[in-house]
Amino acid sequence: MNDLVLILSIPIAATLLAIFCPKIAVLSRTVSLALWFYFAILVYLFAPLFASKQAIYLFAGLSADRIAAAFILLTVIISASAITQAGIFFEHELLSENPAENLHVRQFYILAMLFLLSMITVFFCQNLGFLWMSIEATTLLSAGLVYFHRSQNSLEATWKYFIICSVGIALALLGVVLIYASSQYACSEGTLAIPELIRLAGLLNIPLFKLGFIFAFLGFATKSGVFPLHSWLPDAYSEAPAPASAMFSGALLNCALYAIMRLCDICRASGHFAAAFSILLWAGSITVIAAAIFLVHQHGIKRLWAYSSIENAGLMLVAIATGSWSLFLLQAANHSLAKTSLFLLSGNIIQATGTKQLKDIRGVLTFCPVWGVLLALSAFAVTGVPPFGVFISEWLILNELMVMGQFLPVAILLAGLALAFIAVSVHLGQILFGVPKKNFRIFRPTLSSLVPGLLLLGSLVLGFTVTPSLLAVFTP
Amino acid sequence: MMNEVNLLTVTAAVFAIMMSGSGQSRTNLLLYAMQTFFIALACLAQAEAKGSPELYTVVIGIIVIKVLTVPYFLSWLANKIEARSDPGAFLPIPLTMHVSILLFALSHFLALGLPLFKGIGSVASDATGAISLLLTGMLFMLTRRFALGQIIGFLTLENGIFLFAVTQTKGMPFIIEMGILLDVLVAVMIGGLFVFRIQKSFEHIDVTQLNGLKE
Repeated sequence: MNDLVLILSIPIAATLLAIFCPKIAVLSRTVSLALWFYFAILVYLFAPLFASKQAIYLFAGLSADRIAAAFILLTVIISASAITQAGIFFEHELLSENPAENLHVRQFYILAMLFLLSMITVFFCQNLGFLWMSIEATTLLSAGLVYFHRSQNSLEATWKYFIICSVGIALALLGVVLIYASSQYACSEGTLAIPELIRLAGLLNIPLFKLGFIFAFLGFATKSGVFPLHSWLPDAYSEAPAPASAMFSGALLNCALYAIMRLCDICRASGHFAAAFSILLWAGSITVIAAAIFLVHQHGIKRLWAYSSIENAGLMLVAIATGSWSLFLLQAANHSLAKTSLFLLSGNIIQATGTKQLKDIRGVLTFCPVWGVLLALSAFAVTGVPPFGVFISEWLILNELMVMGQFLPVAILLAGLALAFIAVSVHLGQILFGVPKKNFRIFRPTLSSLVPGLLLLGSLVLGFTVTPSLLAVFTP
Repeated sequence: MMNEVNLLTVTAAVFAIMMSGSGQSRTNLLLYAMQTFFIALACLAQAEAKGSPELYTVVIGIIVIKVLTVPYFLSWLANKIEARSDPGAFLPIPLTMHVSILLFALSHFLALGLPLFKGIGSVASDATGAISLLLTGMLFMLTRRFALGQIIGFLTLENGIFLFAVTQTKGMPFIIEMGILLDVLVAVMIGGLFVFRIQKSFEHIDVTQLNGLKE
C-alpha cells in the first residue's frame, strides 16, 4: 500500500502544482525536477525486483514484474526528458511572434502529468479490464496535448486522433469481452486477471479466445499506429508540440505494444501462439516496409520522424512475435531514447525556422552546429547505424527470425530498413546543408541540446553494454 | 426461440436501425436514448435472472449516464452550435437504413456462428441485437458528415459491445462495467468539447471537409 502512495504521490503533486503554481517559469522547473526525483524513487522501489524479487504488488489487479518495471522506468525517463526540454521550449514559445497563452502552457503541464500517470498505470495492470481502461485513459488525456497550438490543423489532428483511437479501443473492448467469454469455459465465474488467464489457458474456449485476440490486437494496433491503421499518427505527432510528440513516440507507443505483449503471454500459455505469431510477424513486416515507402515522400520534419516511429512499431511487433520479451524491451528502449532526442531537437529547429516544412529547413549545420550534429547522430541512431543501440536490437531480431527459418519476413524487413535509412539520410542531408530560406533564430543552443545529447549518450551506452546475459534478466 | 432478453435486445437494434434512417440530430439522440433504455432493460432482465445485486447498480448507472446525461448534453450541444440536420456522406440517409437492415440479417447469421455458452441460459440469437448494434454504429459513423454524428455512431458501437457482454457472459466484473461507463461519459464530454471547438474554428462541423493535413 505504501508503494502505491509513493507511485501516485509525485504525478499527483506535480498535477496540483501545475494547477496552482502562479508562475510558469517556476512551474516548469519544479515539475521537471519532480519528475527526475520520481525516477530516482522508482529506481529505489524497483531495485529489489532486479536482484531477486519476482513482483511488486500494489493493489488488487495492480502489480509489476521485471519487464513492467523496466517499461515504467523507460516511460518516466522519456517523460522527464520531454518535460525538462518543455521548459526551454515554452520559454521560447512565449517569446515568439504569436506567443502561446500562459493558460495553454499550464493546461499542457496538467494534461502531461495525468497522461504520464495513465501510462504508468498501463504497465501495472494485471487485469485485461484495467489494462483496457488505462489505455483508453491515455487517449482521453493526451488528445488535449495535440491541441496545444489551437490552430485549425491541430484541431483536425486532434479530432482524427480522438475518433480513430476511440473506435480502435472500442474494438479492443470487444476483444476483452470475447476473452472474458472464453474464460467462462475454464472457471465458472470467468476472469480477466492475466495471471489467472495464463494459469487456465489450456481450458479456454479457443475459437472465442482467438476471435478476442484478433479484436484486441486490432484495437491496440490502432493505438500503436500499425499499418494500415496508422492514419491518425503522423498528423497527431506533427501537430503536437515537440515535447508532447516525444512523449507520444517514446512512451505511448510502448504502452499499446505492451498491451499486445500481455495478450501474447496468455496466447503462449494456451499453446496456440502459432496463429498469433503469424499475425504479429506479418503485420510487423508489412508495417516496416509500408512506413519506409511513406518515408520517401515527406514534406514535414516531424511527419518524417512519425513515419519512422510507425516503422519501429512494426519492428517491435516482430520482436514480440519472436516470443522474446527482452528483445521487445530492448528495441523499445533504444527507439524511445533516440526518437525522443530527435523530436526534441526537431522542436528546437522548428522554433528557430518558424516552419515544419522540410523544403524550408536548410543549413542547420551552418547556423547551429550543435543541433546539426546531434540531429544527424540521433537520426542515424534511429535508423540503426552502429554503434548505437538500435543496431544491436535490430540485428538480434533479424538473427532470431533467421534461426526460426522465416526468410521472407527477414528479406522484407531488410528492404524496409535499408529504404528507411536511405530516405532519412537524403532528407537529413537537405536539412543539414544549404542555405535557409527564412532567418534562423537560435535560442539557448547549449542548454537546449543538453537533454537530447544525454538521451543520445544513453542510446550509445545501450549499444555498447547490451549482452545476451543482460537480456536474460528479463526472461521469466 | 424468443425469450425476454432476446426481445429487448432486438428492440434496441430496431431503434438503432431507425436512428440510422434519420438525419435530424435531435431525432438521432432521442432514438439513441430509447435504444440505450432497452439495453438497460435487457441488463435488468439479466440482473433478475442471475440475481446479481451489482448488475442493478450497473442498470442505474446506464440510465443516469447513457440514457439521460449523454443524450441531454449532446442535444444541448447540437442546439448551441445549430447542428440540426446532417446531409449524410457516401450514402443517402434512407439507403443507409436499408443497409443497416441487411446488416441486421447478417448479424443473425454471425450470431449463429458464435460458440454458445450454455451456462447462462442464453440462446444463439441473443447476440444478434448486439452485433447488429455494433455494425449499425460503424455504418452510422461512416455515413455522417457531422462530428456530432461520429460521436453518436461511436456510442451505438459501444452499446453493441456492452450488450454483447451482458448477453454472452455472466456479467463482466462490476468495477470494470462501471469503469467503462465512466470512460464513455468522459469520452463524450471531451468529444463534445472538440465538436464545439471545431464549430468555432471552422464555422462548420463537417468532418469530411477537415482535410487541411492531406498530403
